[in-house]
Amino acid sequence: MLAISIMNGLVIGVIYALAALGVSLVVGIMNVVNFAHGELYILAGYFSYLFASALGVNFLAAMLIAIALVFLLGILIEYTLIRPTYGNDMYSLILTFILSIVLQNAYLLIFGPYPNKPPLWVKGATDVFGLFLYGNQRLAALLAGAAVIAIVFFVVKKTWFGRIIRATSQDREMAELNGVDTTRLNMLSFGLGCALAAAAGVILTPVFPVTPTAGVPVALTAFVVVVLGGMGSMWGCVVGGLMLGLVENLGAAFISTGYKNVFGFIILILVLLIRPAGLFGRAKA
Amino acid sequence: MAGKKQALLSALILAGMCVLPLGLGIYPQHVLIVSLFYVMMASSWNLLAGYTGQVSFGHAAMAGIGAYASGILTAKAGINPWIGIGIGTILAALVGLGLGALCLKMGGIYLSLTTLAFSQILHIIIVNEYDLTRGTMGLQVPALMAEYDKLSYYYIMLAAAVLILAILHRMIHSNLGLNFRAVQNDELAAKSVGVKVLYVRVLAFTVASAVAGFAGGLYGHYLLLITPEIPSLDLQFYVLAMTVIGGMGSFIGPIIGAFALNILAEKIRDYGEYHVLVFGLIALVVARFAPNGLLGLWKRFKPIKPIQGVKQKAVPSP
Repeated sequence: MLAISIMNGLVIGVIYALAALGVSLVVGIMNVVNFAHGELYILAGYFSYLFASALGVNFLAAMLIAIALVFLLGILIEYTLIRPTYGNDMYSLILTFILSIVLQNAYLLIFGPYPNKPPLWVKGATDVFGLFLYGNQRLAALLAGAAVIAIVFFVVKKTWFGRIIRATSQDREMAELNGVDTTRLNMLSFGLGCALAAAAGVILTPVFPVTPTAGVPVALTAFVVVVLGGMGSMWGCVVGGLMLGLVENLGAAFISTGYKNVFGFIILILVLLIRPAGLFGRAKA
Repeated sequence: MAGKKQALLSALILAGMCVLPLGLGIYPQHVLIVSLFYVMMASSWNLLAGYTGQVSFGHAAMAGIGAYASGILTAKAGINPWIGIGIGTILAALVGLGLGALCLKMGGIYLSLTTLAFSQILHIIIVNEYDLTRGTMGLQVPALMAEYDKLSYYYIMLAAAVLILAILHRMIHSNLGLNFRAVQNDELAAKSVGVKVLYVRVLAFTVASAVAGFAGGLYGHYLLLITPEIPSLDLQFYVLAMTVIGGMGSFIGPIIGAFALNILAEKIRDYGEYHVLVFGLIALVVARFAPNGLLGLWKRFKPIKPIQGVKQKAVPSP
């Protein structure tokens, strides 16, 4: 029971970390919270379901197409909705919130309220350390999630593009003075943030099927992770995501399943009370 | 002079509102009563978003607190509904005070994130605590009067809405209202001239929460069945869409928005459950292209008038 809960917590924790990285990237660079993050996560799930299950595309290709489409949609959202709100954070909050409601209702209209599920990548189960049998699909999701996180870290910490991202999130004006086209960077990073939500979506939806509102709890947890880890901190996302995944699953196993999502909120309140800048956050004035 | 004209117009509209339901059937009366609930919700949300620049996604949750607090007290403990509504209002105010004090020192985004999380959590708690709230089945609560009568409810709701609007109007056009605006426009500049930014923000959030709790309590005792639909993101979205479409940051905008959208929702319902999607698309377009809402659009084609309540000095002509 304990071992399985920890394992489940790790799998979902990696996905939380991935979703939170997308939110954090956008917050760090643009100071915009994308409230439609969860709906883009779900959209990727629907895309990968459509391409793989309905059109018979190879599942890996379907996943990549789904991520690419959501990336393009993210760029479109930035260009049409977010860009005019620069300098007024409040409108971007309102716009993305409305967008999330619109998308939820559009999914309901198009796909219906029923759960849809892209095909499994692998079948069967593996004996984990002789403790319990664990579904191969979940193990694959854990590995894939960890791999994507590793790629994101590599890109941000080691490449030239990553240096631009870090420079801009540290000091926007200085970056501009050094020749960074911040408008284009905003568009790209918003798209990338959405693509990370999409990556989380295609990885997790074979395990947890998509419904029009299934993105809400994932996005909420991602927001809590971002606050917990500290706005804009990448390590904060990873540590916070794993922590929340573990707390939720252990809490569900030993305290109450109905209150699974409440534990995250309790952590959020505690963080705001004790260390409002988050675990890895820079204290702001 | 403008003030007098405005007062006359308000009195005329109020008189119109008093006789309006007399010739109507029960169904239009119901629509009007619900609209008045939304007037209170949207106007108080506007106090936050439109006047102090903080976006709360927990306004429906505050209405839920008011409704459930009063509902549980009256249905389980047999307390008088009016006292129940009062307690619900105070409870919502206290929760608002707590949440506001907790996250507003960290800035606006934290308030949005925390209130969104809070509203979801409240929803989960209400659904799970079946013994107390009867979950998704809904909690039956007593009516405000012995004899259930739509017309009486209409006048109670109208009186409540007028009271709330009068309080909000007074607040906005007082010194405090100027502080609200100052915090919204430039936090740093407001701080530098001695506005207690945190205090002003938390106060606005507490007042708005109290109004939502009050409106929610009344609404619950009108519906007679309280369900988790009250503290839901859908209702939160309605309130937001009404304010945004009507005109955020103007006093009349949310009032017009509340009536227009609620009546429109009933019309769209004839064709199916598309109203949320339709409102979402309209709100998206309005927020993007006309951030001051329909009222702002209308004003754009009228000669500019000075903001009411703020005395403007005559500019000497050159």
